[in-house]
Parts: sequence; structure tokens; C-alpha cells
Amino acid sequence: MKKVNIILAVIVGVLAIGLTMLGAGSMVGAQSGFLSWLSPFLKGGAAVQQGIGAMGQGLKTLDQLEADHRRLVTENMELRASNQILRDLEIENNRLRVALDFRERSLFRLVATRVITRDASTWWNTIKINRGFEDGVEAESTVITDIGIVGKTTTVSKNEAIVLLITDENCKIGAYVEGSREKGIVSGVRVQNAMEPELQMNFLSKNANLQPGQKIYSQGVGAVFPSGLLVGTVKSFRQRELDGQAILTPAVDFSTLSDSFVIVGEK
Amino acid sequence: MRDALIAMGLVVGTFLLLVLQEFIPPMGFLSDARVNLIPVLFCYGAMILPFPLMLVLAVAIGLMSDLATLQVVGGSAEIGLGWSVLFYLFVGLICQGLRPLVLRGHWELHTLMSASAAISLPALQFAMITFRRMEAGGIFYSSDVTWKILGPGIITLFVAPVFWFAVTWVVGRSSGFQRMREIER
Repeated sequence: MKKVNIILAVIVGVLAIGLTMLGAGSMVGAQSGFLSWLSPFLKGGAAVQQGIGAMGQGLKTLDQLEADHRRLVTENMELRASNQILRDLEIENNRLRVALDFRERSLFRLVATRVITRDASTWWNTIKINRGFEDGVEAESTVITDIGIVGKTTTVSKNEAIVLLITDENCKIGAYVEGSREKGIVSGVRVQNAMEPELQMNFLSKNANLQPGQKIYSQGVGAVFPSGLLVGTVKSFRQRELDGQAILTPAVDFSTLSDSFVIVGEK
Repeated sequence: MRDALIAMGLVVGTFLLLVLQEFIPPMGFLSDARVNLIPVLFCYGAMILPFPLMLVLAVAIGLMSDLATLQVVGGSAEIGLGWSVLFYLFVGLICQGLRPLVLRGHWELHTLMSASAAISLPALQFAMITFRRMEAGGIFYSSDVTWKILGPGIITLFVAPVFWFAVTWVVGRSSGFQRMREIER
């Protein structure tokens, strides 16, 4: 190998080692900038994905319309087609009404968000949402649905934010068990199946004896998660040498999660 | 100039691939392993481009990969910026060593290197995460971990040859690679 090449390789190596020593603030700043670059592509991709998802239904309607024109369908068939469309609108209307109602009755100021992409990395459970600091979203903000806690924001760019899901081992929530004085720390499991995620609640008392179906709520300790938000329900409980551990089913169904809210302050 | 254009194309390709990979769902049949085709692009560049451009690729691709997957939680990152640059630098040095064989027509080396890199990267990441979380959660291992590490490599084994021949066919005639192959013969 040429001497020049060896020197160049050493320079790149030293540069890379220097990068690994950057502070968290600089890293977040760099990632935020990179996310802003990715933003138009991610939004475009999400729109295409949504379009593809809705294509089947759209084509079906067009086929029906073509058939209507070709065969001069009877009035009865037209009414049935209209009825079907109204039913779809009713379902969508109900879904939006639930979301709106939740936002109105919530104690917090909420920003409605939509999931752009999910689970892009191998070892962390994350999603990207379509709101950033322009919409008032900050790092370490709680993300919820009308059912329970989704996770917390980590890196926030202009129009996007990364959300660390509660199914990730790094997302820790102080929580209590409904109807008891039992408290513990809820976190995700390091590597698990995304279709059936579980949470673990550690540091419970040894004799807690939790029953399946008991609800777990956030305790409100720490600066991120407010108290009283549903985290999940108990699936099983086991005694360990020094404490008790419960396995929980998350309240939110992450496989179908599309709409969520970021808490940006109190009302 | 041609080599620089190829390098630029690979950097742009990496950026677009990172966007595309955001929309590829995890592979359920491989314990939700993720598709990672970045090593395929990098190994191609590292095997056909001269040494300085390989270094440029290692920096650009490593930095973009890190920025796409970086997780800063509670004021610290488990795997900071720059680790992928070091990883791709190491892979690139091996690729440069294999370059004379590749230019003699051993395309399978590209597939093997791509798959090795696609397996090594998540394996190293998992080792780093385990080390960082040693106090909090201890050592964790399950069959899911094995498949999450091997999965990208298995997919790469199928994709890398297709990528190699497609790109060589498209840009081969105008690239230094084709010219060097001819000289070699």
C-alpha cells in the first residue's frame, strides 16, 4: 500500500474516532438536519404508500362506475353504491370524532400527528411522525393515543420527530398498579417480536401477586410522562429472588398505530 | 472524473436507499430482521474505485447510516456518530485488498463481502448495545437476535449479485472498472 494511502486512511480513522466523541447535543443537531433533508422524500414515500393502500378500494369504485355507465344500472344499485360510500364516511367520521373528542377533553395541549415510517432500525423500536419543532414538538415529549402511552420523542427536526416506543428497553416509565399501592418501572424488552410486543414491570414487591388484566398507569415521576396515562395490562406475574416482575401487554396496538398526539403542554 | 461520478452516484444511491429502507417492513419470517442493502453499494464502490474515493465513500456512507439510525435517549447515544465510518473504513480496506481479484472477474467476492458486512454491522451494534446496557439489563440473547443479525446477510446474498451485474452492465462500459478489466486481461 502506498504511503499516501496509509496516511489518508489514518486521517479518516482519526476523524471517525473524533466523531464518536461528539456530545449528544451536536449529534442531535446533526441528525435533525439530516432528517430535514430526508423529510420531503419520507413524506412523498408515505403518501405513495397510503395511495397504494387505498388503490384497491379506489379501483373497485371505478370498476363499479364503469359498469354503471356500460350497463345503465338500475337506481337500486346506485343507491347501494352510495350507501357503501356513506358507510365508509361514517366509519372515518367516527374515528375522527373520537380523536377530536379526546383532544377536547384532554387536560393537555395536544398536537395531532401521523406515523410516517416505523421500525427503521434493527435494535431500537421507533417510529417517525409528521410533526416537528415548527408545530411546537420538543425532544422528550410524551406521545399518546386516546387509549394510552405510545412513547416519547427523541430527535426533533423541523417537520418530523423520532418517537422511541414504550416497547423499547430504553424507554422507562415509573408506573403504578390500578387499585393497589404497587409501583415499579415499566420498560420494553431488548429484542422481541414486533407483532406481539411485551413490556416488563420491574421492582415490584415480591408478594405483589398481580392478576392478569390489572391495569398499569404512569405515575408521573420524572419530567417526561404525566401521571394517570394507561401503559398496559398485566399478562403474568412472577416472583424473583429479591422482587417481583410483571409482564404487560401494551395498551396501544403498535401494529395498527397511525394517528397519535404529542403532549406540548398543559391547558 | 468517471470514478468520481460513480462515487457520487453511489452516495446519492445510498441516500435514496436509506429513504426506501424506511418503507420496507421488517421480515416477519426472519424474526423481524431489517433489510440493509447499504453494504452492497459500499462494497461495490470499495472494490471498483481507487483508494482515496473508497475513503470518501466510507465517510459519506458511514455518516449517513449513523445519522439515519442514531438514537439519543436521555442525553446520551448508545452508538454515536462515526462508528459506521470506522466499520466501513475497515470493510473498505479489505475490499481494496481483494480489488485485483475482483478486476479479474471474481464478482462473487463482492457478494461475500457484502453479506459479511451486512451480518457484521448488526452484530457489532448488538455487542455495543449489550456492553452499554450491561448494568441495566445484563447480557440478553435469544434466537430473535440471531435472525436479526443473519437476516440482512441472507437477503444480501440474493441481492448483491443482481446489483453487481445490473450496475456493471449499466455503467460498466463508461466506467474505469471496465477499462481496468480490459487492461488486466
